[in-house]
Amino acid sequence: MNQYQLQVTAQFRPEVLERVLRLTRHRGFRVAQMDMTTQGANLVINMLVESERAVELLSRQLEKLLDVTLVQVLEEAQALKKIA
Amino acid sequence: MNGAQYIVQTLKQQGVTQIFGYPGGAIMPLYDALYDGGVDHLLCRHEQAAALAAVGYARASGQVGVCMATSGPGATNLITGLADAMLDSIPLVAITGQVPMSAIGTDAFQEVDVLGMSLSCTKHSYLVENVEDLGAIIAEAFEVARSGRPGPVLIDVPKNIQVALVEPKTTPVFNTDPNPLDAQALAEAQQLLANAKQPILYVGGGVGMANAVAELRAFAKRTEIPMVTTLKGIGTLDPDDELFLGMLGMHGTKAANLAVQQSDLLLVVGARFDDRVTGKLDAFAVNAKVIHLDKDASEFGKVRHAQVSINAELATVLPLLANAKISADKLAIDPWREHCQALKAEHAWRYDHPGTAIYAPLMLSQLSAALDDSAMVSCDVGQHQMWVAQHMRFTSPRNHLSSSGLGTMGFGLPAAIGAKLARPQDQSVLVSGDGSFMMNVQELGTLKRAQLPVKMVLLDNQRLGMVRQWQELFFDGRYSETILTDNPDFVAMAAAFEIPGETITCKADVEPAIQRMLAADSAYLLHVRISEQENVWPLVPPGVPNDQMMEK
Repeated sequence: MNQYQLQVTAQFRPEVLERVLRLTRHRGFRVAQMDMTTQGANLVINMLVESERAVELLSRQLEKLLDVTLVQVLEEAQALKKIA
Repeated sequence: MNGAQYIVQTLKQQGVTQIFGYPGGAIMPLYDALYDGGVDHLLCRHEQAAALAAVGYARASGQVGVCMATSGPGATNLITGLADAMLDSIPLVAITGQVPMSAIGTDAFQEVDVLGMSLSCTKHSYLVENVEDLGAIIAEAFEVARSGRPGPVLIDVPKNIQVALVEPKTTPVFNTDPNPLDAQALAEAQQLLANAKQPILYVGGGVGMANAVAELRAFAKRTEIPMVTTLKGIGTLDPDDELFLGMLGMHGTKAANLAVQQSDLLLVVGARFDDRVTGKLDAFAVNAKVIHLDKDASEFGKVRHAQVSINAELATVLPLLANAKISADKLAIDPWREHCQALKAEHAWRYDHPGTAIYAPLMLSQLSAALDDSAMVSCDVGQHQMWVAQHMRFTSPRNHLSSSGLGTMGFGLPAAIGAKLARPQDQSVLVSGDGSFMMNVQELGTLKRAQLPVKMVLLDNQRLGMVRQWQELFFDGRYSETILTDNPDFVAMAAAFEIPGETITCKADVEPAIQRMLAADSAYLLHVRISEQENVWPLVPPGVPNDQMMEK
């Protein structure tokens, strides 16, 4: 099982978190760790996800969400510190 | 002006002239605004059919389809149509009424969280919380529906928003800037093409959606690369081109599947390696490198690795790809062309079916020959759908309306209705099966109401034919719930809606009956009795490579 750290920045709307989590599940990724903060009109989600699939299969789909402004695949160790 | 009137005004600004829908409590203000609002509305007899009619309208016209329904069950009934549009990348805007904002979350009468339900089957969805946002949301919804990879968008409008007063203003019509072209990737693709000895042009529905049919045909003519299409790509290529090998995949032609399996390069244009196309994925075209052209970058590498992928407008990139080096007389593939033509000749369709019973493939080829090139053929899902794809001739992807990705039984009749309204000058023909026809049979009432001269060919084997076929082949002939010998009298049923029709049972009846149907100035039901034992061939069984097709 591969682990990937993602940072998703999105415009804040009530359902954005739901959209991101639904898509993550449906594309075959399991959320192992997550935090979410609002920054003004934006939402920043840090997620550690697990899957046998390549992370691009998730990140490219996340990029297509209208509310999502940026998807970054981070170094795992660096990202884990960020969440901690 | 209230919110509902503003919605109608904004739809008109977006160029909408036709809406499909069904009224109800939570959307009554919008229906009141439609009453004299200057946009045509067709009352369908089920919200699912309204959504599918909007899909048919969009597919036939290239415009954004629009449908509407009330809250709760109205909205849930739209969901199948949204999913159909999502899987086939059809631009659609659906508007649903919602209970007032103050009642949302209280389990109010006919309340359902349609925004939540739509997350998985739309490109995007909105809940309008402020009447001032209505115009911008609708404008953005149309842009999202038609831009990039097209798809469905839902706008949920609470009743209090519909009746709230708003200052009218003109809403923007967006124009999206195209992606910059990757020149290096283009050069790499040209090099791969120049080096290929056995290339195949593999064309999907994205080409038609991107209005790039002319550019694709010019590319095909310049390069003379042997060609195949997916189900949704049918009509994109010239059906009379000797290098066109037909549809590939589970029920594709043997020539197409063999050529793809033998190829050393797949030039994939607007297609997505659907599992019905690839069969056993790790055995699909194993010696082929891949060039993948698509508007949607998320398709690259999703199923099959590509040596070169180019995210671009297809109409822009195809002429650039066919540079001086990439032409029929420069590509050193004459032996491959000859081989593919030989495959096509060797595995041509045969219609010498014994006996007097009607043979559906022959009948559909006769129907196709009797239609103008401009005719639109909608079909449902099942054996007849594959026979239409195999045996009818299409010169435009906008003329072949088939639920490809979702495989929605009940798609055909509403799609044919939507198509006829989109292109009233062209003939709209439905080919359905007895199972599928019953899924949205209430739309005969819509035909009657709108007096639309849609011609319906109902292939009746008194079975859920495709499932029956699989039961025969893969489930030891255990025909669980697929026998429909208790079908109604279809001609009598059509007559109840004042639609004339007839039943035919033998080969000799086919051509005169087709002529009578096409000559009728109204809708017409041609009920065609066929054998329940007839199967769709060839067939790639599950889990095997595409070159191991079962044949009759």
